[in-house]
Amino acid sequence: MNLVRLNRTPILKQLHLEEKLLRKSSTNWCIINDGTDTPAIVMGISGKPSELLEIGSVLRDQVPVIKRFTGGGTVVVDKGTVFVTLICNKDDVPGVQPYPRSIMSWSGLLYNQVFKGIADFQLRENDYVFGNRKFGGNAQSITKNRWIHHTSFLWDYAEGNMAFLKQPARAPEYRMERGHTEFICRMNEYLPRTDFIEKTTEAVETYFSVKNVNLEATEEPCGAEFVPSTRLLSKQELEEALGPQPEIIGVSV
Amino acid sequence: MMISRRIWQKRPPTSSWIFLRPYTSQIAVPSPSPSLFPVQTPSLIGFLSSYAASSFRSVYKISSLEMPTMVSRCCYSNHALADLPASGIVDVPLAQTGEGIAECELLKWFVKEGDEIEEFQPLCAVQSDKATIEITSRYKGKVAQLLHAPGNIVKVGETLLKLVVGDSAVPTSSSDVLESVKPPGSENSPDSKLNKDTVGGVLATPAVRNLAKLYGINLNDVDGTGKDGRVLKEDVLKYAVQKGAADGPSAASVSADCREQLLGEEETYPQTFAEVKWYPDDKTVPLRGFQRTMVKTMSMAAKIPHFHYVEEINCDALVKLKASFQNNNSDPNIKHTFLPSLIKSLSMAMSKYPFMNSCFNEESLEVILKGSHNIGIAMATQHGLAVPNIKNVQSLSILEITKELSRLQQLAKDNELNPADNSGGTITLSNIGAIGGKFGAPLLNLPEVAIIAMGRIEKVPRLSDDGNVYPSSIMTVNIGADHRVLDGATVAKFCNEWKQLIENPELLLLQMR
Repeated sequence: MNLVRLNRTPILKQLHLEEKLLRKSSTNWCIINDGTDTPAIVMGISGKPSELLEIGSVLRDQVPVIKRFTGGGTVVVDKGTVFVTLICNKDDVPGVQPYPRSIMSWSGLLYNQVFKGIADFQLRENDYVFGNRKFGGNAQSITKNRWIHHTSFLWDYAEGNMAFLKQPARAPEYRMERGHTEFICRMNEYLPRTDFIEKTTEAVETYFSVKNVNLEATEEPCGAEFVPSTRLLSKQELEEALGPQPEIIGVSV
Repeated sequence: MMISRRIWQKRPPTSSWIFLRPYTSQIAVPSPSPSLFPVQTPSLIGFLSSYAASSFRSVYKISSLEMPTMVSRCCYSNHALADLPASGIVDVPLAQTGEGIAECELLKWFVKEGDEIEEFQPLCAVQSDKATIEITSRYKGKVAQLLHAPGNIVKVGETLLKLVVGDSAVPTSSSDVLESVKPPGSENSPDSKLNKDTVGGVLATPAVRNLAKLYGINLNDVDGTGKDGRVLKEDVLKYAVQKGAADGPSAASVSADCREQLLGEEETYPQTFAEVKWYPDDKTVPLRGFQRTMVKTMSMAAKIPHFHYVEEINCDALVKLKASFQNNNSDPNIKHTFLPSLIKSLSMAMSKYPFMNSCFNEESLEVILKGSHNIGIAMATQHGLAVPNIKNVQSLSILEITKELSRLQQLAKDNELNPADNSGGTITLSNIGAIGGKFGAPLLNLPEVAIIAMGRIEKVPRLSDDGNVYPSSIMTVNIGADHRVLDGATVAKFCNEWKQLIENPELLLLQMR
């Protein structure tokens, strides 16, 4: 498995890279991005902005909204988010079948190793939690021969940013109607950031023989033009999603 | 895994074979890969299910169409049916993608009707919960029909598409393999009462089905003019027109209702009809609510002698002010905009020119100088034009105005403004620039004597004293005034005062209490 370490790489760039590696490469990859450069909202592939976001606030604060190529829910990411992605050939992980539950369980085992002795880590429904508070959200995409499982870990987050997200209609049962601040927690209360990244790398090494590579290595296997489906939503799309609002102020300076 | 093999009875050539589509499956059958159900002998027995026959029957809700000897999937054995073509149409269902997952959303198709596909070729992408999954084909064949459109929720076991498998393409003796449901024993009554809809007996693409649904048309009632009796878009439209003509007023009122419902959502309505070759029809729209009120108020306003005064206001300082408010804002629920500052400075200016904030009594020829500055804000909502007002602006801070404005905006959006919010206004601001235009010539909101229309703040080039060009944010305003009460000089002086406060907001501090 090739391990790529990134630091403050923009999340859009990371997602483009991941999609390319999933679809075009034939090797296994692990990508760890230690924070993204600016705050952004990342929705799942079928996310509808009007249902998931407080669009008025998003537009006013000009927060970029990205629709990624994997399923799952909506997150606000910033420099306090640590991203860990695994891209594997379906036959390269013993005991893991290429469908969601199987991959999710296996990832739970992996992270169990990371947090052993540190915190009450669990895979709960599809989330990583300490106790009953979520600190990591997951999403996947499964293709003919490969799959990707990527996680955004809440190392730290800004309270204000959570205000961009509506209470989602589809939520795991264990959430029990809690608002964002009651439902999530920060990883920084449990272990240092560098420790987390190191332990994750070690855990991956128990399943694969890992080779550290740099970003240039990701260019090689892919060759031909690849057009990713992950994209930034335009201001117009968001405004349309906002729907008819009483037009009282629209001075656009 | 037991295969159920049924022998089809030979039928007279005029009738068609029965293909029942499966209903929702309640079984979670673990499948090793997210592809379609395995087929035991691909070429001849296109039987997809791996269920035992008995469990199959109990799971799939068999409609009354089923004959005891018939099975609900396309199934041919060439032993008994030597004179039928070797290939056939197979239903391809959404297989189980993980235990506990009962349904998926179809995200996109990778193939279209008529495409030749290979074994293991990706057919579509679905989403379940956290994962997007590519569904691959277990067969080599040709896509006969896609049964779902992207965005549809598909239950596990429900048919996703129909494939023609086998060596030949769609058989030329197409009547035999047409997917049209006829109950056994009543094949001579093509318009059987038995519910063909539920078994999807009509050949039509998902787009055509959606169109028919939109018009409330039963596809079975439409004559298909396409190949194999397929119902085309034109057939649906033609039928809709005929139906409309036959039904007369009821059709017109249905469409009128649709139009009414969609008032204010015009951006979506034309899209639906963009591709439709529709025969234009007159539509009658009765006016209600805000629109009805507008008829009355505007008719009265038109009787008043208006004059209009136009001025440009430099908003550079206002832009900086707003930025400062935003940067120093710690409350995430408050969003700062230009309007509250404009409203407050308007109130300050009106304190100096109280005639601008007055009402005129025609009968007694009296002008009532109003004590409160209740500034109305015109809002275009999906229910029509609403003008709620902020009461006593003279006593409110800019922050309080911001909050009140937000409250009124939310109520207007939800059509929950109460009469108190809508009445008692003393002057009105209309930010038509929010929608577009340089400036308007607004009509008074009676019994007020002044109304101000504000255009967009635009960045335009200006010449400095030394002849250099610099950018400036300029807003054009048009003050409409009742010439029975106000004269040009009063309005001009008032406007100068307001303009000065906007261009030099620090002057507000001099006068604030």
